[in-house]
Amino acid sequence: MSTLSCRISAIDKAFGENRVLCKLSLDLPAGTVTALMGANGAGKSTLVKILSGVHARDGGSIELLGAPFAPATPSQAIRAGVVTVHQNINDGVIPDLDVASNLMIDQLAERQYGFMIKRARLLAEARRVAARMGLDDIDVRTPVSELGVADRQLIAIARAMAHEPKLLILDEPTSSLSAAEAERLFALIETLKAHGVAILYISHRMSDIRRIADRVVSMRDGEISGVFEGPEIDYEGAVQAMLGHRMTEVDITIPPAGQPVVGLRDVRLKADSPAFSLDLGDKEIVVVTGLLGSGKTALAQALFGMASPYAGTITLDGKPFAPKSPGDAVRRGVFMSPKDRASNAVIQDFDLARNMTVPFLSRYGRLAFIDRRKERRTAQDMIDALSIVCQSEADGIGTLSGGNQQKVMLGRWLAQPSRLLILDEPFQGVDIRARRDIGRKIRETARDRATLVLVAELDEAFEIADRIVVFHDHAAAAEFRNENIDVNAVLAAVTGSPADARGKSRQAA
Amino acid sequence: MKIVRRTALAMVASIAASATLLSGGIANAEMPAPLDNPGDVKIALVRYLSTGDFFQAYLSGVEAQAEALGVDLRVFDSRQDAALQADMVDQAIALGVDGIVIQHGLTESMKEAAQRAVDAGIKVVAFDVNVENEAIPQIEQSDYLLGKLALEQAIEDNGNEWKAGYVYVPGIAPLDRRHVAWEEIKEANPGIEEVAQMGTLDNPIANSNANQARSVLQANPDISVFFAPYNEFAKGVKIAVDEAGMSSDVSIYSADVSTADIAQMREPGSAWKATVATNPAVVGEVSVRALAMMLAGEDPGAQVIVPPTLITQAFLNENDISNMEDLSAKLPQFAHADVAMTDWMPLPPR
Amino acid sequence: MSVDSTPDQTTGDGSNTEALPRRKRATLVDHSIRYGFLGLLLGLIVFFSIFASGFAGPRSAVFIFQSVAITGILALGVTCTLVVGGFDLSIGSVATSSMMLAAYMMVIFEQSAFVTIVACLAMGAFIGLINGLLIVKTRVPDLLATLGMMFLLVGLQRIPTEGRSIATGMTLPDGSTAEGTFSPFFLAMGRHRIDLVLEDLIPVSVIFLIVIGILVWIFLEMTRHGRLMYAIGSNERAASLTGTNVNNYKIMAYMISGTLASVGGMLLAARLGRGDIASGTNLLLDAVAAALIGFAVLGAAKPNAFGTAMGALFVGILLQGLTMMNAPYYTQDFIKGFVLVIALVFTFSLSARKAGSH
Repeated sequence: MSTLSCRISAIDKAFGENRVLCKLSLDLPAGTVTALMGANGAGKSTLVKILSGVHARDGGSIELLGAPFAPATPSQAIRAGVVTVHQNINDGVIPDLDVASNLMIDQLAERQYGFMIKRARLLAEARRVAARMGLDDIDVRTPVSELGVADRQLIAIARAMAHEPKLLILDEPTSSLSAAEAERLFALIETLKAHGVAILYISHRMSDIRRIADRVVSMRDGEISGVFEGPEIDYEGAVQAMLGHRMTEVDITIPPAGQPVVGLRDVRLKADSPAFSLDLGDKEIVVVTGLLGSGKTALAQALFGMASPYAGTITLDGKPFAPKSPGDAVRRGVFMSPKDRASNAVIQDFDLARNMTVPFLSRYGRLAFIDRRKERRTAQDMIDALSIVCQSEADGIGTLSGGNQQKVMLGRWLAQPSRLLILDEPFQGVDIRARRDIGRKIRETARDRATLVLVAELDEAFEIADRIVVFHDHAAAAEFRNENIDVNAVLAAVTGSPADARGKSRQAA
Repeated sequence: MKIVRRTALAMVASIAASATLLSGGIANAEMPAPLDNPGDVKIALVRYLSTGDFFQAYLSGVEAQAEALGVDLRVFDSRQDAALQADMVDQAIALGVDGIVIQHGLTESMKEAAQRAVDAGIKVVAFDVNVENEAIPQIEQSDYLLGKLALEQAIEDNGNEWKAGYVYVPGIAPLDRRHVAWEEIKEANPGIEEVAQMGTLDNPIANSNANQARSVLQANPDISVFFAPYNEFAKGVKIAVDEAGMSSDVSIYSADVSTADIAQMREPGSAWKATVATNPAVVGEVSVRALAMMLAGEDPGAQVIVPPTLITQAFLNENDISNMEDLSAKLPQFAHADVAMTDWMPLPPR
Repeated sequence: MSVDSTPDQTTGDGSNTEALPRRKRATLVDHSIRYGFLGLLLGLIVFFSIFASGFAGPRSAVFIFQSVAITGILALGVTCTLVVGGFDLSIGSVATSSMMLAAYMMVIFEQSAFVTIVACLAMGAFIGLINGLLIVKTRVPDLLATLGMMFLLVGLQRIPTEGRSIATGMTLPDGSTAEGTFSPFFLAMGRHRIDLVLEDLIPVSVIFLIVIGILVWIFLEMTRHGRLMYAIGSNERAASLTGTNVNNYKIMAYMISGTLASVGGMLLAARLGRGDIASGTNLLLDAVAAALIGFAVLGAAKPNAFGTAMGALFVGILLQGLTMMNAPYYTQDFIKGFVLVIALVFTFSLSARKAGSH
């Protein structure tokens, strides 16, 4: 327990102007499972990539068993004893090869292996590795493509073990496993722990973390925001550290309740998730929050015509609402600004004005022709209204900072009146000033529509919401009015604490 | 110059004569073994080139003669894949054919395959490909004569002092052989000056050559004769000449012919004055006849040359010829070549 | 509304640096990228005017246009598919199939020019529709779907005539003779010339090229449909999340491409006056080259109608000029390839610069 496997000291990493890791220090003791928690964009994956040799760090140092560790490539990291099993299982296995080749692939890639495959030796060694990992029941000659997700995961880990690692990094390993499958994985982790391997376990699943972690480390904005260990780990404290808790003096004036706009009745987003109901009225800003995988995105997709709910009904202004495509939803007055703007929203080849006018081009000019002047005027108005920092509306979108890009994406949907505006992670990758501008603008314009904002960070929720709905297991689990709010109750709901805590939070709402 | 042409024709005739067993007997006589039981005789046509009117007509000739003989014909088409063509010869051997016609191909890839066929006791003839094998007769249309006859007609029509445009793509065997005739004519007639050379095989060939010829005519408005020794070239040159409004100033001489070409040559005021052609269907028939002779144990000769025919615009107009069938009917030497003939040889119906 | 107790020190990322986007300065390099290709075009014209006799002059200019009319029209079609991030390899064979169909309709079915034109356009649009459906519905990658279509058409166009070219008077597979002729009106599309200053100066096919070029340019640059197609090409997912029906636009792009290819085929038929068996590979390659060279024109770094037209013209001027100077055909292929490589270097070094400035 006490030997230190890996010491990370004050490492920095920036991509362009974006500082992702900031003087981050962390110790990883041998024979210990350290759970790492952090919201999207906290820098977890960057940290993993530095440890696994994908990225080079800008500053700081890493020691592995006392020796300096600075891998230039993933294979160097593996040879030095840092092995990573990535979240996407298919990155860890080669489906078209059999289990034996998968287990031995790193050896095959070594130059000294020779030209021809030594089949018998390969099988024998693969069987030995598999047996050591408790995978005796798998025939090493089976192609991996015929195995289930869980077996693939175990093979990816077993493959990692062929290197006898000092540090094993598991990135969201249970995200596609059933409970029984996960249990097999945990058993394997226990075995490795007993062998003195340091394990860095990245997950959002509180149940997993409760089950397996010896200590919990929270990350936020590229820094370690809390380390929790000892016999009684403070899980809520860890979540709080991860989501941010610098309590704000909220001076949100909650407007009087308006007319109901959107009604969800007994909606089930997944076959096995509980049913829930939710009403969104006009003038009102409802923030839905919850951990990754809590079903926020599924809710947005159901409302924006990208997926239909498993059961239940949705109404818009009293009429049934079941959009078949985003286009359908837009025609009914339901707009959405998606998360991950670089891949889902920004059109790189277009300038600022053109990015803004994409959804409602038919407004600009007659027939199909675009009136450029009108388009420019709209863009200029939006630039002023949202205080977008740019030289002109003809700037390439790529020349803007993240915050200003996000403002353009918001302007895109504010250009037309809507019945329901959905903003999925509108503060993602946005600096504090832009964040305030965006929040202010959302509240200013909220009068004639219902507004649904999806955020993972509680800070952001408190900044903007009239009402906060906590999602858990693809359903609304708790609801809070954003007045004198009990942060701990919200946190309890977010982590999915026992039923009594949830009941309490219901009362609070 | 007429003398030259006659000599050439006589030469062809003599080659043809020596190739045939001089016996102008009756067709449909009892055929020698194994052709007395033709249903059991299998022959294969192994092709390298197949797309285009020429190859289509060649195939129809092969089919017609095979039908007349009553033999079982298998067609293997490698579509310009040299390796595949060699494999196809092996397939034919495996199939147990009695004879093979190799139509075009590359010497390098076909030489060994052809030898394997010969070793297997199969009779082989080759059309337009030299497989360097003494046991295999060559069927040829004389490209040299094609060029020669066309150029002699050009000299007859235009005298021997003119500026010429020439269409040529080096490296294409039949064009190279026609090129020899062009070099000879230029040598013999210093008054003929080649002011421009062009040519491309980008398809559609006529269209690409029309574009080039347009530039050539623009740059050299004094050209009075265009030698385009391939009908697709001539077609392109004619389009360019028409577009440049020079139909009355330029005369086009070419080689090969098709129904479409006949219509082009007969257009009022057409610049396309003459072409020289071997009927590809006849070449196909001759290929099969030569093979049949070998199957019957006779010798068609090492080289079987199918003589070409001169076709002038005037002739087409006088006889009101509108397609290949008319041409065959009105120009018997085009419809039928008296080469690779025996007294027992059945001929396709005409 | 207040946010943080300590507002200004909390952000990890550079809130101070983001305020000032980098000032754009038009350097010499920028200028050369923007105008380099047009400059090259101009230089080429001057060069040939001096060294190739007969190059300078209106007739020469017109037949250069004429020589690129057909590939230019095809290139405009392929530009539309490039705009939505696709690619159409079947245009060459659509054009030759349309040529065969035109000849078949008139020579064998003895139909009027009008019926023929409608049939060819319908065939082009239909093939485009099939291409589009294969790509958006069955998720076959665009290159593979249109490659398959190319082979299919190369074969299909030969089936009705058993591999023969179509001309008046030809013998049909059943032994009869085709009596139909090309309608004079149809032939005029490829052959008629209009008086403009000089007698018989401008061929109709050049008018087709110019009109289609302007229409495609207007469509892509000035209408919302064109704008949305560019959006799809740049970020398909983002476009779809703005409510754009991405699939419909993709299908439409392939239908435009197929229809324009069929127009090219008809012009080819009208010029040749017969239906020629041809794979159209050279038409495809020339058209694609024109569209790709077009990326470099005015530093667009993306498919665009004006660039495509300039690209086609560039290739045309180069080839006709070289022919006039008696250069053999293989040097022309070499130079075509060389120009394309240079254009691609222009384009991609430019987009790298754009990305780098972020």
